[in-house]
Amino acid sequence: MMQEKVPGGTQEAEGDASMPVAELRSVSKSFGSVLAARDLNLSIRQGEFLSFLGPSGCGKTTALRMLAGFETPTEGEVRIAGEVVNDLPSFRRPVNMVFQSYALFPHLTVAQNIAYGLQQQRPRPTREEVSAKVSEALETVRLAGFEGRRIWEMSGGQQQRVALARAIVNRPRLLLLDEPLAALDRKLRKEMQIELQDLQRSLGITFVLVTHDQEEALSLSDRICVMRGGRIVQIGSPRELYDEPASKYVADFVGTSNFFEGSIASKDGEQAVLKLADGQTMAGTCAPGLSVGDKACVSLRPEQIALENAASDGAHPVTVLNRIFLGEHTEYLVSSETLGNVIVLAPRQAERAGTSYNKGDKAWITWREDAARILLSEQ
Amino acid sequence: MRIYAFCVYLFLYTPIGIIALFSFNAGRHASQFQGFSVKWYGRALNNPFVMEALENSLMIAFTSAALASIIGTMAAVGLHSMRGPVRAIFDAVIYIAIMIPGIVIGIATLIALVTVFDVVNPWLAGLWADAEAAPQFSMGRGSVIAAHTMFTMALVVVIVRARLSTVEGALMEASADLYAPPWVTFRRITLPLIAPAIFAGFLLAFTFSFDDFIIAFFVAGSETTLPIYIFSSIRRGVTPEINAIGTMVMAASLILLIVAQLILRRDKKT
Repeated sequence: MMQEKVPGGTQEAEGDASMPVAELRSVSKSFGSVLAARDLNLSIRQGEFLSFLGPSGCGKTTALRMLAGFETPTEGEVRIAGEVVNDLPSFRRPVNMVFQSYALFPHLTVAQNIAYGLQQQRPRPTREEVSAKVSEALETVRLAGFEGRRIWEMSGGQQQRVALARAIVNRPRLLLLDEPLAALDRKLRKEMQIELQDLQRSLGITFVLVTHDQEEALSLSDRICVMRGGRIVQIGSPRELYDEPASKYVADFVGTSNFFEGSIASKDGEQAVLKLADGQTMAGTCAPGLSVGDKACVSLRPEQIALENAASDGAHPVTVLNRIFLGEHTEYLVSSETLGNVIVLAPRQAERAGTSYNKGDKAWITWREDAARILLSEQ
Repeated sequence: MRIYAFCVYLFLYTPIGIIALFSFNAGRHASQFQGFSVKWYGRALNNPFVMEALENSLMIAFTSAALASIIGTMAAVGLHSMRGPVRAIFDAVIYIAIMIPGIVIGIATLIALVTVFDVVNPWLAGLWADAEAAPQFSMGRGSVIAAHTMFTMALVVVIVRARLSTVEGALMEASADLYAPPWVTFRRITLPLIAPAIFAGFLLAFTFSFDDFIIAFFVAGSETTLPIYIFSSIRRGVTPEINAIGTMVMAASLILLIVAQLILRRDKKT
């Protein structure tokens, strides 16, 4: 089945929903002496929206390019629909990619760009079939009537949509998106994010997105694969990554967090107590794989810390150092004698209730014990 | 500084201007202008020797430029996907081919061809039952075409390579991603994008071959190209007829060069 690349094969081949669309099995890739990807293991589920998230050079693009067939793994297996495709050239793989630069063919019209993949199908579809599918794809990306336009006549956002249409018109098993929104301005990016998500849901195509923008990954994905230095650090839903990060790296990369370094003093099941350098202790939920004596840190999300104007049990006295208005939130930088500088995010409602603080004000911070996560400090 | 530049241009272009001017001379002496006339153009175009040489030159220029465009483009595309020392060596060799003086190429090609013919011709004669009827290689149009193709191919490679380097690599990947096998990618994406450069290369190769005297002189054998005809006529004295031929050759070459430049420049903008 994989020998003849049949775009549009999704409909017939969906049969076994439990079978992963694509898999990476112990995949490594080195360029000369540089290891770009190490021992990647991942299975991509039918119909999901998966993101590779990480800073530049973390191996996320390499992983995507191995799925597309532009790079061959040095070790391990890439499977698509259950079959090993390591040696299958990209033009035989039932996957399509939206390139970061869009890579639209400048000498072809919009319609010719979109029809390009359809025209390679065997048996060759008729002219009418092609033009009907092209129009439908253009309608899907809200560019109906743009068939005859030239690429350079289109704005960045429109080019982005054409690139998207050119890929989805083939109904690939897997749609790969390499930082597709990076070149757009913030407002347009937001719009396109929503459209991408709608598109993915209505088409039912599996999307694999590469991004360095954690906000984008959090808002779009069903699952996020966080990468660092060529390795997969954690795979999980946005919520899991945010609420239960496996390491300090993930907690730091996905969202912002306050970290308090120390070592684990005692552990009871999931609960553990961390002893800070100055001897004070902090309790919290412990990430798996940690044991007593390990160097670890407590991670506290800024929005899970409450800023109060009166002392209560277990509250830490602080001085407000700075206040930044962020619209729906206000970010406070406070300083505690015992904990150092702490970032607190207060919702607007709190401010309306009259608990607003200015630079130099005295206040107290508290948090619920289950909001504190104890993580391995690996940096 | 301005006067200096003016003098340089004067020095460069006065002889050419005089040739063009005297080609319209009504009199038959090169040194005295005796009124305007285009009769020498008519005379030149009616001269069977001139026409034969012109036909040879056009045929040689067209064939060698076409061959150079095809082979040069293939070489450029091949080199483009190469990396490392192989590519560096080939690049160097191609630039050297352009910088080597024509006379060296002429002599080298002559020696190489004579050597090859000396080996191949007796061998061919041996293959045929009747040695007299066996095909034999000799100097002529073929050898001039071969020599010109070899040299002008380097020009085409350089021009096409320059264009290829501006074509985004992701376009080829996108084509492969859209199920196009390498050949289809070449035909539908790469070739249309580099076509202006290939055409410009063809025009330059044509001009070069059409104007070339040195290499052709060495390897043409008994064949006469237009520059060779001009050279041999000059030995009998410069006539207005020669001036007319020279002016026509110059005009044709200039037009081709300008067209090639326009294509390359417009190409850069898009």
